[in-house]
Amino acid sequence: MPIYTLEAGQVVQGIKSKEFSAEEYISQLFERIEKVEPKVNAFVTLNKEEGLDRARRLDKKIRDGEQSGPLAGVALSIKDNICTKGMKTTCSSKMLESYIPAYDATVIKRLMAAGAIIIGKANLDEFAMGSTTEFSRHGPTRNPWDISRVSGGSSGGSAASVAALECASSLGSDTGGSVRCPASFCSVVGLKPTYGLVSRFGLVSYANSLEQIGPVGRTVSDVVSILNVIAGFDENDHTTTNSSKPTYSLQERKGLRVGLIKEFTEGADPGVSKMIYKAAETLENQGCKCEEVSLPSVQYALASYYTIATAEASSNLARYDNIRYGFDMNPEGYEWNSYFARARSNFGDEAKRRIIVGSYVLSSGYYGKYYLKAHQVRSLLKREMETLFKKYDVLIGPTMPILPFKIGERIDDPLKMYLVDIDTVVANLTGMPAISVPAGFADGLPVGLQIMADQFAEQTMLDVAYLFEQAAKVQRSPEL
Amino acid sequence: MATTTKIGLEIHCQLTGAKSKLFCRCSSDYRGKAPNANICPICAGLPGTLPLLNQKTVEFAAMITLALGCKFPDEIAFYRKNYFYPDLPKNFQLTQYNAYGITSIGVDGRLEYGNGKDARIRRVQLEEDPGRLVYASGSMDTSVYVLIDYNRAGVPLVEIVTEPDFADTKDVRMFLDKITSIIEHLGVCDTKLEGSVRCDANVSIDGGNKVEIKNISSFADVEKALRYEITRQRTMTSREIQVRSETRHWDDARKVTKESRTKEEEQDYRYFPEPDIPLVMLGSEFVSFIKQSMPELPDTRKERFMSKYGLSAHIAQVLIGNKELADFFESTLMIYLSPKEIANWIVTDLMSFIDERQKEEEEEEEEHSLFAGLKVGPEHIADLARLVDQDMINRATAKQILGQIIRTGEMPSALAKRMHASRIDDVSVLAQAVQSVFQMEQAAVQDARRNANVANFLLGKVMKITKGKADPKVALEMIQKKLKED
Amino acid sequence: MVVTREEVKHIGWLAKLEMSDAELQRYTTQIEEIINYLNKLDTIPLEQVKPIAIKKKFSELRKDSPENFEDAVLGTGYRKDGFVKGPRMV
Repeated sequence: MPIYTLEAGQVVQGIKSKEFSAEEYISQLFERIEKVEPKVNAFVTLNKEEGLDRARRLDKKIRDGEQSGPLAGVALSIKDNICTKGMKTTCSSKMLESYIPAYDATVIKRLMAAGAIIIGKANLDEFAMGSTTEFSRHGPTRNPWDISRVSGGSSGGSAASVAALECASSLGSDTGGSVRCPASFCSVVGLKPTYGLVSRFGLVSYANSLEQIGPVGRTVSDVVSILNVIAGFDENDHTTTNSSKPTYSLQERKGLRVGLIKEFTEGADPGVSKMIYKAAETLENQGCKCEEVSLPSVQYALASYYTIATAEASSNLARYDNIRYGFDMNPEGYEWNSYFARARSNFGDEAKRRIIVGSYVLSSGYYGKYYLKAHQVRSLLKREMETLFKKYDVLIGPTMPILPFKIGERIDDPLKMYLVDIDTVVANLTGMPAISVPAGFADGLPVGLQIMADQFAEQTMLDVAYLFEQAAKVQRSPEL
Repeated sequence: MATTTKIGLEIHCQLTGAKSKLFCRCSSDYRGKAPNANICPICAGLPGTLPLLNQKTVEFAAMITLALGCKFPDEIAFYRKNYFYPDLPKNFQLTQYNAYGITSIGVDGRLEYGNGKDARIRRVQLEEDPGRLVYASGSMDTSVYVLIDYNRAGVPLVEIVTEPDFADTKDVRMFLDKITSIIEHLGVCDTKLEGSVRCDANVSIDGGNKVEIKNISSFADVEKALRYEITRQRTMTSREIQVRSETRHWDDARKVTKESRTKEEEQDYRYFPEPDIPLVMLGSEFVSFIKQSMPELPDTRKERFMSKYGLSAHIAQVLIGNKELADFFESTLMIYLSPKEIANWIVTDLMSFIDERQKEEEEEEEEHSLFAGLKVGPEHIADLARLVDQDMINRATAKQILGQIIRTGEMPSALAKRMHASRIDDVSVLAQAVQSVFQMEQAAVQDARRNANVANFLLGKVMKITKGKADPKVALEMIQKKLKED
Repeated sequence: MVVTREEVKHIGWLAKLEMSDAELQRYTTQIEEIINYLNKLDTIPLEQVKPIAIKKKFSELRKDSPENFEDAVLGTGYRKDGFVKGPRMV
């Protein structure tokens, strides 16, 4: 088996035991990337020279018998809205066309300290706003299972690069499902941590009360390894929690109580819900107790999400006036209002729409009607989920209500596009953790099982995910 | 014609006492630095950065809140005020806002500021300063591009908003003096630094529309701006023209208030709470901590000066009117404990030298320390007071000595010793000097026969002629004797 | 009409987004659809709620010790004597 197919854990082991060198591994990956990138388009920027350089330095370390970190040699792609010092970070937008960050995001510092090797920046919907990576100015990322279909989004590049064996794992960001959606569509594992578990310092803000950086991998084990490195308090992000550094493990647990959210399964395509009921059966066969539950406030979840997300986005994107950084446009000759408006006309359609909707819902007279009500929905949902978590360890359902659709299918109908987020936004609105694991295939296309747990109950959620993964044995690679 | 005037104030005070900016670790001291040399990713608004609230600034704002008699909420939060402007790195300002519940650090206070008058304080809040715009050709109108310096962006400000409780500009002046005294005593802001305190105002007359005046760059200008605006409004109403509710800009060069430049579409700040800054919990423990650790307020100090040192209310007031003066006083007491004597020297003689020197400097428009240019410290005054208390020199001599040592920095006792050594008490020499003076100043001599005080003038002349070496006691006796003779 | 063309134009001014007439037309239709959907929130009665969930103690705030950021921060090439060059103000 070629070494580029190895999981992160196997890579660390292999390099440490000198089965193969890091340089070999990274080189093979770049060969693979060269072969499949024309079909997948997962990357915005590739980091070949530096990647190989780091690999060689790691090999030397191993030869000299020095200590290497828990992710030593693991090749990662990083969503291009996470700041990497010295490496272009564009958010797939013209507004950051030539932007090179002056600092590393905290998660990047931690991953590098653990020995990981960043081989490139992954494609995304512009400023993380979208569910298919079609709103990227670098062209859509294609689903490795069927390249005429979407990879999901906004972290499409992250999920596709992992599924297409272009890297071992990836970091994405999840504001309304942006890690879990592409993970589901590409049949890989994607996790959104509890709000406040992972530092957002260095994550280019889209909706700061909703988003978290999350790992993507081919197995639950890989996702756990990455989470262990990036999670934990950061003094540079005051929304991270103060408790001691968490560590998660893979463990066997019996008798877990599982609630199947009926609003999600009933709202999904028949092919999808069939797979989910099958997944519930699998869990029961593994000793879990599954029951159908209801989450009535789900009916308001999308409206709440799109109110809060667009409101925060309209303000977070205000700084892009092209004065301090951006793309080349000489300010001389313009009056400042015109310059700002002209420069900002370079946002894509979806970004502009969300800025306008967001400004609208925050504008004078509408604040109570939309923004405050949207926050009320968050409280409502949180109370309902907390009540359920008294009886159940986890809540499950489909990650996406539909199968991956054809590229271009929903792009002219914004509201139709928003509706695909219905199952994922709940976790962002409540701040609770959620993970998508491959559940199988319907009509040859991937279906993801979403597992949610209470705040900071990642370990329980991972227990169920691991249990399911081992029993269902879905994982395989697409032919590319 | 009698008119009722209502004036309200909006004071912005930079927390120069804090070492770093409000939301990042950059130095809060931006003055004199090269453009854009005092910035970091956070205050420059780079993508992916998050605000990190400075603990000291919350402490300072809380002290101001207490000093102004305001109430604290249980928690404070920050809001985004969204608008675009080239001096705003994020195109929103982080500030505090009270429309949907109290989030600012102080509300509903009251401050007595003199003559039994007081003013209600609507709120005290924390917010960040924007950057600075500089015009290449010197004026906004003619520059083809603007130059932006972000060094000041993110510097912490406390905003103090009053109710329109002031009835005239004199009250405003008294209030601002009181505010200055308070923030100096608290050590939160050095008001002598250029731009560290700014004050916008609003004014309406006879229940008419309120006009806001912005762009007033110092406390001194507030009175000027208000007087102009009140006159403008009075003129309009006397001609039965309605005063429009608007925002006007103070033009410092022409000393007028002007209509706002453009007829803008309606601005809408779309306030919402900043999600990156958690609610900061205050509570009774916090309030106790602030009460215990904050420096002595000027009013408290005044009370203490009166009760502990037996100073009069007037003298105590002068001392605390400027923190440096009060500090000087207490430092002097530490060397030699004679409160009334020392207070007197400071408030009367030393102050007149200071006032003189300040008048000279008014053209420079720079504010220095009170004692800049004067070579006198607490040890000098202590020494002087001791000499007088112990009857080693008389008061007149002491005043003379003070006048000299202010320029030289010599210790009074050293100078007194030298003077005494070269003192002329040889009666014949003195008699000659007195004789000369009587001849030269015949008019004064006539006056002196009617008015005994004029003898001091003659004494002064004798001192001059003898180059200060005459023994004033002896000389005066001779003068008085001579006056009686002729 | 839930959302008018005028409203979208005004927001374009507030948010400094230049839009062609065609874009204005297209966005107005799309945004009206979206706002219509958001009006679902009208069916819930308004209660008191605090938008920010995270709390911090005074003692947990950042300590006031200054630090100089050593690397270059600004990306624009349009500079003069250290200032950033911006468009004219009038």
